[in-house]
Order: sequence, then structure tokens, then C-alpha cells
Amino acid sequence: MAPSQAAHVPTLDNLIKSFNNQTLEASIESLIFLLKRRQVKGDECAKATAHILRQVVAKSKWNDVDQLLSRVQSAGSRLARAAPIEPVIGNVVRRVLGLIRDEATEDRNADDLASEAASDIQSLTPSTNPNAHPPQRPAHVPVRPSPSVISTGLQVSKSMFNLLSVANPGDSPITGASTPMSQAQPASVHALRSEVMDGIEEILDEINQADDQIAGFSDIQIHPGDYVLAYQPSRTVERFLIKAASKRRFTVIIASHAFSDGASEPPYAMLRKKLNAAGVNTINLASNGLMAYIPRVNKVIFSAKAVYQNGGLLVDSGSCIAAQAAHEYLKPVIVLCPVYKFCPEDPSDEVSRGELGNPSSYVSYANGPAVDALEVENTVTDYIPPELIDVYLTNLGPQTRHHLASILADHYKTEDIGFSLQLGEP
Amino acid sequence: MSKQGGKGGAAAGKAKKPAKAGTDEKREDVLQAVILADSFQDRFKPFTLETPRCLLPLVNVPVIEYTLEFLASNGVQEVFIYCGTHSENIENYIHESSRWNPGSVISPFSSLEFIRVSDANSIGDFLRDLDKRSIIGGDFILVHGDVVSNIQLDAALAKHRARREANRDACMTVVLRSVGEQPHRAAKARGITPVFVVDPTTGRCLQYEETHPLQSGRYLNLDPAVFSHGQFEVRTDLVDCGIDICTPDVLALWSESFDYELPRKNFLHGVLKDWELNGKMLYAEVLDDGYAARATNLQMYDCISRDVLERWTLPFVPDSNLIHGQTYRRIKGGSYVEDHVVAERGTKVTQSAVGRGTTIKTGSTVWGSTIGRRCKIGKNVKIENSYIWDDAVIEDGASVVHSILGGSVVIGADCHIPEGTLISYHAHIASGVQLPSKPPARISVLSDNKQLADTDVSLVGKGGKGASYTVIADDEDSDDEDGADRDPAVLQSSLLYSLEGLNLSTSSISTLASDDEYDSDDDISLAGSLHAGDFGHARDRLSSFASDDAAKPDGFHNDAVHGLVDALRADDSDDFDGAKLEFMGLRLANNASDGAMRRAIAVAFVRRAAELLAPEHGALEPTKAAAEALTAKKGAAKFVKEVGVGGEGVPQQAEFALALQRALGAVKGLEPARAGALLAALLQQLYSLDVLEEEGILAWWADKRAAENEDMDALREKCRVLVEWLENADEEESSEEEDDDDED
Repeated sequence: MAPSQAAHVPTLDNLIKSFNNQTLEASIESLIFLLKRRQVKGDECAKATAHILRQVVAKSKWNDVDQLLSRVQSAGSRLARAAPIEPVIGNVVRRVLGLIRDEATEDRNADDLASEAASDIQSLTPSTNPNAHPPQRPAHVPVRPSPSVISTGLQVSKSMFNLLSVANPGDSPITGASTPMSQAQPASVHALRSEVMDGIEEILDEINQADDQIAGFSDIQIHPGDYVLAYQPSRTVERFLIKAASKRRFTVIIASHAFSDGASEPPYAMLRKKLNAAGVNTINLASNGLMAYIPRVNKVIFSAKAVYQNGGLLVDSGSCIAAQAAHEYLKPVIVLCPVYKFCPEDPSDEVSRGELGNPSSYVSYANGPAVDALEVENTVTDYIPPELIDVYLTNLGPQTRHHLASILADHYKTEDIGFSLQLGEP
Repeated sequence: MSKQGGKGGAAAGKAKKPAKAGTDEKREDVLQAVILADSFQDRFKPFTLETPRCLLPLVNVPVIEYTLEFLASNGVQEVFIYCGTHSENIENYIHESSRWNPGSVISPFSSLEFIRVSDANSIGDFLRDLDKRSIIGGDFILVHGDVVSNIQLDAALAKHRARREANRDACMTVVLRSVGEQPHRAAKARGITPVFVVDPTTGRCLQYEETHPLQSGRYLNLDPAVFSHGQFEVRTDLVDCGIDICTPDVLALWSESFDYELPRKNFLHGVLKDWELNGKMLYAEVLDDGYAARATNLQMYDCISRDVLERWTLPFVPDSNLIHGQTYRRIKGGSYVEDHVVAERGTKVTQSAVGRGTTIKTGSTVWGSTIGRRCKIGKNVKIENSYIWDDAVIEDGASVVHSILGGSVVIGADCHIPEGTLISYHAHIASGVQLPSKPPARISVLSDNKQLADTDVSLVGKGGKGASYTVIADDEDSDDEDGADRDPAVLQSSLLYSLEGLNLSTSSISTLASDDEYDSDDDISLAGSLHAGDFGHARDRLSSFASDDAAKPDGFHNDAVHGLVDALRADDSDDFDGAKLEFMGLRLANNASDGAMRRAIAVAFVRRAAELLAPEHGALEPTKAAAEALTAKKGAAKFVKEVGVGGEGVPQQAEFALALQRALGAVKGLEPARAGALLAALLQQLYSLDVLEEEGILAWWADKRAAENEDMDALREKCRVLVEWLENADEEESSEEEDDDDED
């Protein structure tokens, strides 16, 4: 899909737009390469994964829940392998898998109910001539609405009876011999498909709203007169601070890498403008001067790329120093992390060593002698051990480390935790 | 300009695929790219005897993958690939690749086509062919098949469009990467330094020149027109990454100039020089960040490999696993290792990439290297800075330093492979062999004509396989990018950047007049082109040339000799005037001395005559050959008289005779007896044509230099009969003989 004249470089938005005219396989593959080429990274990954899994559910062929699960698993593990440095992808895949399992069990439970209900109905309905009806029956009898009825998307307001209709064909004795099984199958598949897709929409909404929800807790966390150190504020942190600024008067110290070369505008200029407009003072700080300011600071805030089940964090590099400094001075460290960033796994060796970026952020490639003589390791991510973190501020509210397990248990199913290992693919 | 208008219209009107015909607008939206997958160079030989350059593995990924991925990451939709040699290999590779195969749904390109040009000899031929095809709708990206880059072209494309909209004549943007003024490995490795004269405010390119360390002149002439631009920068700190954003006008320009071969040296230079005529404006986009380079030679290959391992090329690094089926992970020590690599306890692997299925036994160290798949590395092996391709076997105790080992190479136990060694596919070095370090060996099982070479046991040891591969410095059919510039190619063809072996020539840069200049030049050009392998010998003979020849500009000799030999060979025309004109032009252009001209002419005629002695050209007798060489073309004799001898004086004639003698001495493959006979015949023929006079020949006979060593003396002796005859000469006899010859 060639976008406008101005930009040819593929982006996530272009990919999402092109879903309709591409095959599923092509879309997945494009996303995989966007991930591999780092053209989609960070917070975009979660969104991208949810979008592509929605396509998998919508477009791929499957006849029962197990097939759907394996489709999602295989697509998900391909994505996760494409970007091992983005654990968020795995989280979204697990969420979707859990969602499918929930819907499926709901259906099965509904099934059991349905069989009872159906037999009730049958016994209540005086079917004088059962053999005459069958052709029309699926269309008229409320117990088994036709696929077209279901696809109108009215499930939300379904009554108990409608729910009964999405029966699992395998063990559906509902209407006896008169209803052909082949018709039952697409009906339930269809229903499950639209329910799962709705579920994925909800996950997408959650991802999109997470930042705002977290910002909603800002006035609880930030008190008037606070000195807040924001280390390399991400979009999440920016929203949080701006929201807080509308209610509180405080001072923000923005710490970031020293930008030596003549960047056109100082870092975080937009954020500072907005904060100043709201009457909040800002101080810009190079990260190497951070220690000196720590005694004045009341709290340190940054956002996480991922939170592991032990409470350890994957963060942009440098945040660890800020966290350690704060820990030394007993200042609270608040981490902003939406629930979808919680990973039900422990950090791997690779993660704790940090991802390596392009050395050109520290040494210009034009600096010949340095390029020859130095080997520059630019770690772009840090791992922060759990003991340095005081508050995990999620979109569901502030948490401590001891309660992370319950969040994980609420959101993921144990059978999905190792989803990418379940497929023996190389 | 007018021509272009027609072309552009045609492109839109009869678009090749009806499905894509659409409107002009639609086609504008689709970004097209043209990949030149053949460079018509042989800098990667002996590896490119079997595999095209763009399929050579660079950190275990074929080079063309980097190029295609670069295009995909820039949202290119339609790709055309021009292949030359090994085109079927490249086509097979693409068709077998699940990602790039045009039929595959997952290909990021909407179309990918191969274009074969049967008679293409240069990049220019490709682009002229492209112009004829009318498949290019709008702006397109022209890249070589060996580009490694992570830059995003959006900004450059936008600027290019803005310029083109403002002025229709802004037709090309050259993407360049600045590497700073300090010494840089990428700048050093490229061999030739491009010099761009750029207007810093608009980015417009005003002049383009090339320099290299071995040229004699250290100065560039700025075009006076450059000064009318007010402000300009002369930049030599740029790496040319071979990425051009072009409008279809560029193709029209190529078509107009049928003799342009190289996109930079000919096209860019020429179009900028003739700006007044064509009115086209070319721009340079100088990037200060991002990575872009071309694997144009082995040193660049080395440099880019290191950059990839050090992650300058992110995201094109091993652990991105851009190729399907790759499973690289970064491990401690900055190495990248695929699954199923067995590194025994006690091995050290640092800053390297190791492919799947490779085993490294205990006690071995690997540093700064890439090792392909399924390699077997024995115990206590030391590998440093080397490139080892798939399936190689290195047995216990061997050491490999800064070398390239091709696929399936076997290195025996306790071998030592010194710096700069190139060992091509399937070669086998027996145990315990120490390869020579100066000059580093190039070993191949194939010879230049792709036949199996006879194994050289003294080099590869008993039980080994392969022979030394020599790059035959033959200008006639050289497809080297720098046909005229032999010297930089010498620099570029080895893995190590070194001026060491070329000391003689470098000294000639600093000392204007010295015998050395002549020496070094002839080592390479004269001896080389005449297949004279015995360099030392040739040098002995030649070292005493008069030093007035010394201040002779580079390249003149080669060009002149080839021009003349070609003219003498030409079957279709009897006319020598064209060659004469060309020769004089060359002379003026190079400001060649009389001595240089004399030498060039002598070499040319001797070469032609010697050629005629050879069986494939009729195995003429020396007398016939001499006559044929001198008289077959009208005006040749006159040319020799006027230009070659250059005057009536006896000393000049003697010099010319001496030059002939030396040229003959340098002809390889001619027995001394035959050479002597040929010399006598040539002298006689020249005498009878009134080119040389009796006094001249006798003066040569008396000259001490003509008998300075055994070989020269042997040649001279053969002429004794002639000289004695001349001394008692009878005019009528000679004229009679002349008539005979004329009838031939």
C-alpha cells in the first residue's frame, strides 16, 4: 500500500489500513518485518499485536476452539520471536488466548444449560409434525438463530436464550435429529469469532486508555509542593504529569541523556511548555547531574517497558541509576505500568543484560579513529531489580510488589504462559 | 530535454502491465527501485568465479538481502533487477527465497522483475536498456546490489520532489554519507576518493572528480564555472553509498551519452561538466547519521562486516534474524550465535558471529570473525578477524588471521594462514602448510577461465587442492571499473589495504623525475599486459631508460598502446588516421613526453607484430609479420615516422630502434631467436619504408645500451646480418624487396 506521496516508509498505521486488501499471511509477515526492522517498537507493539490477532481470528479458517487457539498461538509466537526484546507482544497474545478460552468455556457451560433448556422447550412445544419443519426451523426457532442473526452483533444485549444458541456442536444434543450438525458448526464458530473479536477490541481499548487511566491517579500520587523527578519521561509519564499539573502545584525535574550535538530544540520542550502553561515549574537535568538533585526530590517517576512476575522491570537505559539513587536516599520510586505490560514470566539472561542499540548515539560514525579503536556497547534497556521499586501504578490503581501475583493470575491463564514453547517450531 | 518529454509520455501511455496502467498519478505513488546486481568488476575474484558478488555472504547473509531489505524498509513497491554474470544464480536465489519470490504473498514488493541484457558490458548499457523499456513511471531509486544501509529515504525523497517541482531540471539526488575528516576505515577501504564540489546551501553538486593514492598528480582542477556559484565546498569526506534518487530524465541522459559506462566517473562527472549543454542539475544529499556503504571490494567487505558486528547497521544485525530460519542470539562477549552451535568448554568466542551446526572444539579462540553454518573447527585453533563461509573445516592447531576462507574449504592441522589470504571454494590446504604472507596467497581450485586449475603442490602441500589464482592484468578484456586507472584496482583487489607492495609507484608521486617511475609503471602495464610474469627480469632490463621519460603521466602508456594495437588489429578499416588522432589527443591530454610516445608506439607495433607470429593469427614469418604490422594500415608507417621517431635526427632514430628492442625483450612467450629475427625484420622494414635511415640504425648498433645485458645482446646479435648488409647497402636491392612486400 503506497501511502501518500510524502512518506513511503512503512508504518503501523499504514499496515492497519492495508489489512483489508492483503491476505492474512502477508499482513502477519509485514508486521514481523516491521518488528524486526524496529519500525514498530515500544508501546506500539501491544497495539500492533492486538490488531493482527484480531485479523487472525477474523480471517483464518478454524472450525473449533482448539484450532483457533493454535492459529493464535502460532501467529503470536512468530511475532514474539521476531522481537524477543518486546515482551509486551507475548502478553497480548496470552491475553487473547485467555479470552478465547473464557469464551469457549462460557459456551460449554452455556451448552449444558442449553441442553436442559432445549429439552424443556421441546417438551413444552407441542411439535405435532416434527418432520415437516426442519428446513425452516433454524431460521425461526429462537433457540437456534441463523448465522445472519448472530452476525448482526446483537450479542451484547442477548438474553439467556440467545446465549444458548452458541452451542459447541460436538456435544449439542439440543434439537435432536432434526437439525443438521453442519449448520450448527458455523453458527457457533461465527458467534465465537465475533465474541473473541469484541474481546480483542476491549483489549485494544484497554491499551489505548491505559495512559489516561493511570493519569487519573496522578493527584493521589503527587502532592502540592512536591519535587518530582521524571527520568526520560515517556508518553505515559507526560500525560501523568500534565494531568497532575491541572490539579496540583509542584516542580518537575526532567532528567535525560546529555544531548551534546546541536539538536534543533532542547529535549522535552513540548512537555515543558505544557507544564509551564499549567503553572508547574520545570528543571532540565542531564542524567549525570541527577545524584546532586536526589536529596531535594520527593519522588521519582518513570515508566516501564515491561514488569516481570518477580516485580523486576524492563526500562529504558539510565532509569536504573535514577532508581538506585532514589533508593539510597529513601525516596519513593513510582513506576507507571499499565496492566498489559505485566509479564507472567521471569526475566531471561538476555533481558537482564539489556538490549544493545546503535553505538551512534554515543559515537558518531564519522569519528573515524573512535570507530576503529572503540567497541561501543550502547545498552538501550535496563533491568531494575524489584527491591528498588516502591509503587507500581497500574491502570487499575497503585499496587505493591506483593500483589503483582494476583494481577497476573487475573489476566493470564496458566496454560498460556509458555505459549510460544508449546509449538515445536524451530 | 525534448527527448525526455517523449519518453515520459511513453512510459505513462503504454505502461507494460495493463493492470498497472492506471493514471499518471497512481504510478507516481508507487515507489520504484532498480537494482544493479552486476558491477562489471572482478575485485572479489576468485570468489566471484563461482558466486556473484551480491550473493557472497556478509556476516552469513547474502549481500543482496541487505539491499532488498533496505528497499523494503523504505516502502519500495516495484523492483527491477539487472543481472549480468551469474544471472541464473541470482534469479534462482530470489525465486527460492520465500520472502522475495515475486509470486509469494508475503513479498513486500508488489512486483519484482529480472531484466537480462545479453550484450551489456557496463552499467551504462543497463541504464540505456532501462530507458528503452519505458517501465519507469516517476522518481525511482537506483541502487547497486551490494548496498548495506539503514537510512530512511523519506526526507531525501521529499526534498528531491520539492526540487523537481521547483525546477524540472533537478533530476537526480545522490545520497552520500559523511565520514568526517579524520582517517576512517570506510574511507580508506574504498580505494578511490570521490571529490564532490557541493553548494552547501542548496546541496547542488557542481563538480565531481575522483582521486586515489597512486595517481601522479596531486591536484584537481576546479571548473571555472564553479566559482560563479559564489559559495561551494569541496568535500572528500564522503562515502558514496551508491543510492541515487533519479527521475526518468536521468535515463534519457544516459541514452544521450552512449559512451558513459560508470555512474560516477563517467555519468556524474560528465553531466556536471556539460551542465551548460544539458542544463541538468544534480544534487547531493549528505547524511550525518544512519549507515550506508557498498561492499565494493574486499576491504569494504571487511569494513562492513565489522560494522555489522558492532551494530552500526542496526537493525541489520545478526540477532534481528532478518532471514527466514536464522536464529541468532547475542551471547556474552559480544558474539552472535545461532541455535545448535556446539562450542566446547574452554573455547573463547568474542565479537563474532557463528552459524548453525558449527562445532568449535576445546581450546580454540575466535575473535572478530564470522563463521558460517556447519563449519568444523578443531582443537586449539586460532581465528582472528577472518571470514569463514559455510561448511569449512579447520583442523586442530591451525591459525587463521584476517583472511577469507570460502565455502567448503579445508585447512589441515597446524596450518598457518597469514593476513590477507583468500582461499576460494573447495580448496584444500594440507596439514602443516605455512602459506606465504608476502604477497598473501589467493588460492582457488578454478582458474580464470573457470576451468579446474592444476593443483600447485608447492603451495597447498601434498594432498591439497587448489592453485594460486593470479589476477591477469589484461586491459583488452578487463571489465574493471577503472579501465584506465589500473592502480586503484590494484589497491582494491586485496583484503588488506597496503601501499607496501607498491612503494615504487608511491615514490614516483613525490619525486617528479626518476627512473623509478618508469619502472613501476612498466611492471604493471607493459609487463603485465604482455603477460610477462617475470617482473624482476623486466625491471632489470627497463631500469636504464632515459630519465626524460620519467615525468610521464599515469595511464598514458596503457591507453596509447591499447588504442594503437586495436587500430592495427581492426579488420574492418584500413584507415589509421583515427587512431593517430586519438593518440595525439591522448598525448595532449596527458602532456606526454616524446620519449613516452616513442615507447608507446614501439610497444604497440611490436605487440602487433609478435601477435602475428602466433599460430592463431596465421603464424607468419618474422619478415611478413613485420611488413603486415607496419604496412597493413594506410598511414601507419607515416605515423611511425612522424610521431614515433619524432624527427629526422639520428639520435631519435636510434632511440626508437632501442625502444623496439626493449619492447621485444619484454614480450613473453617469444623465443629469443624469433624475437631477434622479428627485430631484424622490423628494422629492415622500417629502413625500407624510409622511417629509419642507415645512420639511425647504425647509431643504435653502436649504442652501449643496446647491449647492456645478455638478453638485449641476444636480440642485437640477430640484427648483425642486417647491419652488415646496411653497411654495404645497395639502394636498388632494398627497393626491390619493398615492392615484394607491398604486394603482400
